[in-house]
Amino acid sequence: MMALGPLLALLALLGAPLFVIIAASAMWGFTQEGIDLQAVVIEFYGMAEMPILLAIPLFTFAGYLLGESGAPRRLVKLTQALLGWMPAGLAIVSLATCAFFTAFTGASGVTIIAIGALLFPALQQAGYPEKFNLGLVTSAGSLGLLFAPSLPLILYGVIAEISIEDLFLAGLLPGFLMLLILSAYSVWKNRALRVPLADFSWREVRSSVREAIWEIPLPIVVLGGIYSGYFAISEAAAVTALYVLIVDVLILREIPLRKLPEIMRESMMLVGGILVILGMSLASTNYMIDAGVPQKLLEYVSSLVTSPLSFLMLLLAFLLVLGAILDIFSAIVLVVPLILPVAMQFGVHPVHLGIVFLATMQLGYLTPPVGLNLFIASYRFDRSIVELYIATLPFFLCLLLSVAIIAFWPWLSLVLINGSFS
Amino acid sequence: MHQAQPILQRLDNAGRVAENAVLVIILTSMILLAAGQIIARNIFGFGFIWSDELLRMLVLWIAVAGAVAASRADKHINIAILDRFLPKKLNSAVKVVIDLFTAGICAVVTWYSVSFVLLSYEYGDMLLGDVPAWILQSVLPIGFGLMSWRYILFAISRFTGLLRGGKSA
Repeated sequence: MMALGPLLALLALLGAPLFVIIAASAMWGFTQEGIDLQAVVIEFYGMAEMPILLAIPLFTFAGYLLGESGAPRRLVKLTQALLGWMPAGLAIVSLATCAFFTAFTGASGVTIIAIGALLFPALQQAGYPEKFNLGLVTSAGSLGLLFAPSLPLILYGVIAEISIEDLFLAGLLPGFLMLLILSAYSVWKNRALRVPLADFSWREVRSSVREAIWEIPLPIVVLGGIYSGYFAISEAAAVTALYVLIVDVLILREIPLRKLPEIMRESMMLVGGILVILGMSLASTNYMIDAGVPQKLLEYVSSLVTSPLSFLMLLLAFLLVLGAILDIFSAIVLVVPLILPVAMQFGVHPVHLGIVFLATMQLGYLTPPVGLNLFIASYRFDRSIVELYIATLPFFLCLLLSVAIIAFWPWLSLVLINGSFS
Repeated sequence: MHQAQPILQRLDNAGRVAENAVLVIILTSMILLAAGQIIARNIFGFGFIWSDELLRMLVLWIAVAGAVAASRADKHINIAILDRFLPKKLNSAVKVVIDLFTAGICAVVTWYSVSFVLLSYEYGDMLLGDVPAWILQSVLPIGFGLMSWRYILFAISRFTGLLRGGKSA
């Protein structure tokens, strides 16, 4: 009987859908407690009581549409005109574009396919070393997770039951720190490279602005609307989805109407995959909280560490391992409810925890065995996983440094939300 | 048996088209309703009374419909770390077990969804004003039932593939 846990773990590692594993463990738990298994369905149905979830399908769909349209090309051109004059300009352009695009498309790997595929040949042509380019494009594919309105930020807010607006603000500085450190590395790494610096030209800027005229209002309306409090998150998502739909299908006509059903299907498969895990984990989390798992976890952790500092170190180590085996969405819905009470006991602000959590999970995109970015890039650029792993290593170390700074310097995450929390 | 194949194939294609239609309808109404709500509120100064509730229901529907679509492509989020170390044939056999396990768990969820919906029917719960809740909630047994069915099909096709592979080898 007690072998069920290991058995489920084995099935999970052999590739059983995660939602099934979670459902099975929740049902097992409820059976042990003598609770009718209908509880699982009732918990799952609880998703219909969470208005904020509306943002998830709408932003995801908008992101997939943008990825299929000409927006990535225009975005690259615009960023190139604005930032291309800097040393290692194109590398910085790549980082900035990827971060911006990922914020809008969630962390689904769309960025590597839509933007990386444009940037990689451009970087090659500009004379940057191939290994650097591969590493850059692969690791930049999940940069921007900390910028609004990224899906993981929204999901964390839902699960931790804290203000998503606060999270959107809190992610700004840590997100920029990651960009800054990666940019600095790119400049330093290519210091010997004599790429002729591009001239800053107003004409270039004007023409690229004119081309991207339909995309430019998007971040302004969405982010401006959210930060000013004019739109709720789900309203901003609705505006984004409708706007992108109208622009790309009706005005620019870059996406033919007959392609829409497939794009909808592709994007909703991701949404369904995430939400079905969320629904089942509502049940399993409920069971685990009833069974006092967070308290036991707290007792255990308290026996290991005593100070907030050592707790954060333990947390980072744990999240690095977690990120290597679990995708970011499952990790949020499964793990956050358990570690949030523990973290708060150690004086970690829930918003800070969220930023640390996501920033660390972002590293999981680059670590074997599961690292999604490695697989997508391997498929897209036709390289072996090992080759990509070696190429991304310096970028991984840069990101690790940023994660450490973000974790041990809560001010960076909390200053914009006036989070006085000691 | 061989004549039955094209019919099954056609049924399968029809299923895919039906899934797409459902996804398109739910997502499109979601976008229009959510955006329409903002326009109505800001321009005409009123909101639709049931739209919030309907939108939350649509999210549940798209979650289930999306999960059904993900099942068809066998693209559910998983951790699959060990399977790549298994020999090919053993891996296929393991996959059959996993398919059956998935189908079984989905069937259990389906079973309890049916009792959930029946209970809601007996109580005469209403949503969106005067719509019986059980109609809106039926998406749960239908969705999990379809997922269970899908994984039974996977198990059968992988199993027969395994047998056929065994014969030719």
